[in-house]
Order: sequence, then structure tokens, then C-alpha cells
Amino acid sequence: MLSWSSQQDGTPADLDALASGDGDAGLPHGALLMAFAEAAAGVDDAALAEAREALVDATSEAFMIDAAAVVANFEMMTRVADGTGALHAAEREANATALATRLGMVERP
Amino acid sequence: MTRAVRDDLAAAHRRSLVHVAAPGARFTAARRVQIAEVAIAAFLDPEPTPPWVRPHGDLALDVAHRLARHAGTINLEWYEQIVTEGLHPLDWVEVVGIVVSAVPPVAFARAIGAPPPGLPAPQPGDPTGHEAAELAPARLNFVPVAAPADRMPSVVQALSALPDEWDNLWQLAEAQYMSDRAMDDPLWNRGTLSRPQMELVAGRLSLIRECFF
Repeated sequence: MLSWSSQQDGTPADLDALASGDGDAGLPHGALLMAFAEAAAGVDDAALAEAREALVDATSEAFMIDAAAVVANFEMMTRVADGTGALHAAEREANATALATRLGMVERP
Repeated sequence: MTRAVRDDLAAAHRRSLVHVAAPGARFTAARRVQIAEVAIAAFLDPEPTPPWVRPHGDLALDVAHRLARHAGTINLEWYEQIVTEGLHPLDWVEVVGIVVSAVPPVAFARAIGAPPPGLPAPQPGDPTGHEAAELAPARLNFVPVAAPADRMPSVVQALSALPDEWDNLWQLAEAQYMSDRAMDDPLWNRGTLSRPQMELVAGRLSLIRECFF
């Protein structure tokens, strides 16, 4: 979805940066957004507060809130997928596996 | 500090927590709230037990715990083990539905620096028995789904066996992310994050959660 939407948007994203968490992935505020997502997924409340305020300072409170909503959505969807053993349809499996490998995910649990 | 949360988003989270505290297809409201409390505690635990530990000695609670904290470690083998030990496959689906109803409002509150929302008091009443008219085994999910199976993406059919869980999932997704209609528009946004910025957050979070899908 990131690859497709960023191509269509005219700001092709760097998937390697997504995998490593380094840089901005070629998107405005990309580094701050990835830092916010990482902190939200972690357990360090101080680090989360720092990432949150950095994002608000660079953008706006409404921007940070919508980023937090996306975090909440994928805390949900990852659990739906993992909790129900979701697989890709056969026609998408090869692409999905190639992408997962590129992102450093080599096998299902 | 009070944050100015969109009305539609705040309402979706309230509906989700009310949904948790209502009787489900197979569990009473009190049991659903108990399952949600376990999930929220596991999600927020700064020092969680390892994935293979089953801290509650209760099949539904242990599934909720592992799904809330170590979702990326759940596989077909563990699902089959839990079902063999006595948890009905539709009970498993309802546990998933409860966890993904309770965790997002808490995750959102933590992300914006707000206190976690409380769960409503459980409503009275028996389980509703509201299941899909016909169930089918799926190739794309290890849980049973509404028939016919595998006509839609696996994450879409995932909770279809229990329509009330399915409905709540997608009302949350529309407020937190985007509607079904917007999914096909790569330029859709709310005037804040662009679509690629939304996908960057989604991708990084999913990677950290080791969600292969």
C-alpha cells in the first residue's frame, strides 16, 4: 500500500527506510512519523512523549492525532491477521513474500 | 492535557467499548469484560511474560493475553492446541473480536498522551447466539468464516463468523484509518497525513509487531 500510494502521490517512498527505521523514507515528516510509530509500539512512556511532542511541533496536534489513529488501527489489524491466521490469496502470495523478505521478515511463526 | 480528538473517532472508540461490555454471540458481557481487562493489562504491561507462558490457566484469557501482547507468535499449531484443549473455534473468534475492540482505544489514548479509557459495566443478559447463517472452513484463515469462504481478502473475512464483531471492527477501521470506499484512492486523506504518510505509520507499526501479513 505504501509503495502504491506513494507512487500515485508523486513521492515514491523508500521501503528500505521503512525496514530500517532510518531516514524519512522520502516522505515529509517521515522520520518523525516512524519515530512516533516505534515509540507508540514500545513501552517507554518518556520516549513516546518525546516523539509525540516532536511530531506536534513539526506539524500540528490534529496531524499527531490522526497518526495515533493509524497506530491504533494497525494495533487492531495486525491482531486480526495474526489471531485468525490470515494468509494472502495465491495471486498475491509471491509479491507479499518478496516484500516481507525485503523488509527482513523471513518466515511466519 | 486534553487533546482535541475528532468527534467521529471518539464516538467510534466509545461504541467499541460499549460493544465489549454487551453480551456477545457466545460469552456473557461479564466474561467479555474480563477478557478485555486481561487484554488491556497485557498490552500495557512493561514487563510481559514470554509468549509461551499461559498466565491465567483459562483458555480464553490466555488467548486474549497472547494476542494482546505477542500476536506475532500465534500460529496454526497453537490455535489447534487450544481448540483441542476445549476452546470452541467460535469462542476463539469472539476472543479475537473482544481484543481488537478493547486494545485500539487504549493504544490510541496512550499514543496521544491521554489516560486509558475505562470499560463500561457489563450489561445483563445471555449470549446472543448471533452467528453467521452458514459457516465454512477457510483456506485463507485458520478460523471458520461465513460461507462462502475465501471470496474476499482474509483480513476482511476474518471475523465474519460473528457479525457483531465484524461490524465493530469495520466501524473502528473507518474512523481510525479510512472507509472501504477511500481505500482505492491513493490520494485520499483527512487534510492531515497524506495517504503515503498513513501507510508509512501502518507499515512501520506492522513491521515492529512482526505481522507477516
